Amino acid sequence: MNTANPEFNPATGDQRSPGAARVGIGGPVGSGKTRMVEQLIPRFLARGTNLAVITNDLVTKEDAERVRRSGLIDPARVLAVETGACPHTAIREDPTMNIQAADELDAKYEGLELILIESGGDNLASTFSLDLVDYWMFVIDVAGGDDIPRKRGLGILTSDLLVINKADLAPYVNVDLERMIREAVAVREGRPVLVTNCATGEGVDAVVDTLARAVLFDR
Amino acid sequence: MLRLENIVGAATDPAISHRLHHLEHRGRVEYITLSPEDTRRRRLRAMTDCGTECAVVLDRSAQLYNGAVLMLDAERAVVVRMRETLWLDLAPRDAAAALELGYFAGNMHWSVRFEDEVLRIALSGPEQDYLDRLSPLLADGRVRRIDERD
Ligand SMILES: Nc1nc2c(ncn2[C@@H]2O[C@H](COP(=O)(O)OP(=O)(O)OP(=O)(O)O)[C@@H](O)[C@H]2O)c(=O)[nH]1
Ligand SMILES: [Mg+2]
Repeated sequence: MNTANPEFNPATGDQRSPGAARVGIGGPVGSGKTRMVEQLIPRFLARGTNLAVITNDLVTKEDAERVRRSGLIDPARVLAVETGACPHTAIREDPTMNIQAADELDAKYEGLELILIESGGDNLASTFSLDLVDYWMFVIDVAGGDDIPRKRGLGILTSDLLVINKADLAPYVNVDLERMIREAVAVREGRPVLVTNCATGEGVDAVVDTLARAVLFDR
Repeated sequence: MLRLENIVGAATDPAISHRLHHLEHRGRVEYITLSPEDTRRRRLRAMTDCGTECAVVLDRSAQLYNGAVLMLDAERAVVVRMRETLWLDLAPRDAAAALELGYFAGNMHWSVRFEDEVLRIALSGPEQDYLDRLSPLLADGRVRRIDERD
């Protein structure tokens, strides 16, 4: 066990909790980020993870309302951040609003283990600040075209996990999925790439395993 | 897995360095090597050079740095080593090119340093990615790459 001098609070006799792991979910508009959140929630709850969600929208609370209504999670555990301006500002240049929301969830729910933070849909260059998240995934979709990985957007290159979603649509949009995966793997130099169908949940277990390993330190 | 939740102190702190020195003699200091980018994380999984799997879980206000000591007891120490930042040094041809280069680097959200007439870009990925992005500026000589040994 850890023998490294844990911060000890004599007033409460408690060790200060470092709070929940924070995982970012970014990607272009409509790639399936909210659907991914809706697929992740039941899986994390099933494995006993104490969970909360933050969604980002431009000027509405659309995605938060959708997740609250889903019945998948206590609606109070879903916070909405209205970014107002470009979505990437709220996850990179000035993530204050999202940090505050995450701090609020940490304070409110003791033992909280994981906060999923969905960014508003943006472009291929969007990235998360590591001041806000511990780990982040970038969700693109097959229907965006199989040349997307080749375009080497910053989100595709530097995210901790790249998810290629809507695998089911490949035959309808003339996309060579195998090639898309190959090229994504090539530009990411060893960082993981996973393929999902968030409409059905296919492939999402592997996303859960990857996140749990990286920030919840399972296995 | 070894859970490390605090920065005990800096390896350069005289009291700590003294203890590290003794442990080092007995081969009991383990190092975690991180990229400059990874030192910005508060929570990560890492393996020491001795193969110990570590779960680093720091307070949100903590900040890793080169030489941060994450564990120090009579038998063992764990110290963070930050990989050196690699730089791409660029010299613009004239004021117009400098404006353009500065605007472009800002737009790309690259971290930079200004050194007299040279713009230094801190590389957080393969150098070729940066050169590809800069190719129009480099191609017609508006911007020139400076070799570190120049
Ligand atoms: N066929 C198919 N449809 C999907 C899949 N994932 C998401 N969708 C659909 O794609 C549409 C967009 O999904 P969202 O989850 O709202 O996308 P988003 O990335 O959250 O969108 P923004 O937040 O507006 O950027 C919805 O109609 C989803 O039902 C998938 O894997 N396959
Ligand atoms: Mg959404």
